[in-house]
Amino acid sequence: MSADVQLARRPTPDTPSPPDGDGRAPWLLGPALIVVALAVLVVVGAWVVILTQPTTTLPGLGVTWQRSVDFGRDLLGVDSVGTPAYADRAAWGEVLPLAVDTVVMSVLAVGLAAVGALATIGYSSRLLTVGEFGTHPRLAWPLYLLTRSMHIVARSVPDVVWALLIVFLVRPGILAGALALALHDSGVLGRLGSDVVDNLDRGPLRNLRAAGAGRVAMVAYGVLPQALPRLVTFLLYRWEVIVRATVVVGFITTAGLGYQLRLDLAFRRWTDVALVLLVYVVLVWGVDALSSALRRLAR
Amino acid sequence: MSTPSLVWVRARPAGRSLLSLLLVVAFALSVLAVAGEPVAGSGGAKAAREVLASLLRPDLSLPFLRTVAEATLLTAAYAVAAMTVALAVGIPGALAVSGVLVRRRSARLASVSVVRGLFATVRAIHELVWALLLLIILGPNPIAGVIAIGLPYGATVARVLGERLTDVPAAPLAALTSAGSSPWQTLFYGRLPLAGADLAGYLFYRFECAVRAAAVLSFIGLGGIGFQIQIALADLRFERVWPLLAALLVLVVAVDRLSRYVREAGTV
Repeated sequence: MSADVQLARRPTPDTPSPPDGDGRAPWLLGPALIVVALAVLVVVGAWVVILTQPTTTLPGLGVTWQRSVDFGRDLLGVDSVGTPAYADRAAWGEVLPLAVDTVVMSVLAVGLAAVGALATIGYSSRLLTVGEFGTHPRLAWPLYLLTRSMHIVARSVPDVVWALLIVFLVRPGILAGALALALHDSGVLGRLGSDVVDNLDRGPLRNLRAAGAGRVAMVAYGVLPQALPRLVTFLLYRWEVIVRATVVVGFITTAGLGYQLRLDLAFRRWTDVALVLLVYVVLVWGVDALSSALRRLAR
Repeated sequence: MSTPSLVWVRARPAGRSLLSLLLVVAFALSVLAVAGEPVAGSGGAKAAREVLASLLRPDLSLPFLRTVAEATLLTAAYAVAAMTVALAVGIPGALAVSGVLVRRRSARLASVSVVRGLFATVRAIHELVWALLLLIILGPNPIAGVIAIGLPYGATVARVLGERLTDVPAAPLAALTSAGSSPWQTLFYGRLPLAGADLAGYLFYRFECAVRAAAVLSFIGLGGIGFQIQIALADLRFERVWPLLAALLVLVVAVDRLSRYVREAGTV
């Protein structure tokens, strides 16, 4: 495996043949073939594992179609008696405050994640610790490795699993959900942020240092003005992702639209499910639109 | 005296200050909204101590490690299978979303807007919500889990790949078209090679997300790392949570490393 990867890493110089050779595009040849062969092997293996699970059944097309249609009718409340929830003022009155809770949870999560990331990327960027502009020779490596590992751990564990753990420590609710989302996202933003800092234009930093700027002045006048607009852009992108995830985290931390969806599904109140889904999708679209409008401001 | 300040104003657009203000105010409001709530959980400090103490004595017995390995393999299998679905949806989807194969302008606009709206809806719904909905239609079936991840990811891949296919530099494409190549030939000799390099990196990033999503498919009663974590937490066996989290960490980091190799090779 590692030998193949090694092979794949260093394309031999004679592989890119001119495209007129045998009529195939040059990028389809060479070490790519090995990578493709390995990928096919992995994919086949994965599907074998999935298809041999004890609960796997291959759903028939006809049956699946029928069930989908039935489910769609349930959601629309075609055969049910009474007003469907999405046409009921009282139901809207119950769901809209939950949508507000969901937005609050997402904003709180983004904010906390930003605080967590900003507090650490000064140490997790190579440039400012062990790289060209590092100033703490003894503590640099430990701090760099510590903050890097923190980001990796935070990022690798999904927000839902963080939520499962956090509800043991924090009272279930908006705050617990926001903490779970923020924990995962501080890892994501931390990584993105340290990449941004590492890829900064070094000219201004060198000028500042030559002018005698200390570490604080360098960060304030050299790093932040360059990095902040990009970080804010990432932050707004992550907000879009987080809003989608608030629903799922809400299942666990019993907050917002997610918890309502879980209850409605459990009690088979299908038209209420439809209402929550409708509000959820509109909310996600609204946040996407707002985020892209705000990103235009950041430019 | 006035010139430097003018330069400064131009270099720092007013939009940015407004944006910073908006973001800070929004965050402050969200903090105020939850400020009154009690914070401590039901377990309180005792639960916190237990969770932390269990970190020092993780369950590393052989039978449990076997369970961890099996759960990890299953989660990886879900992620890979889901990515094949995502590509099967995303690649044709990208061609439809970008409309690069349709020559007539009106037909392109119509097809593109319909497909875009459809994909935007699919993408808006989180993969685990898809899982819950598909559970109702397909039952607790691993296929439902694979589709639940693959469908919204496919819609995302379609958008990103579609954008890359339309954003390639125009000159090489014009050269191909003026030499008489069809839209398909332009796609294979112009757009794909031009968009290809950083595309592989993006697909691996999606794969990494798929691994995390697959880990929490326990939501719809499917196995894997998340399922084992849920069991361990329900039994209050915190010492079993850490090896499971470590396995997930290794899996995610492995995918990340693999992605770096592939990007450096530039072969895909």
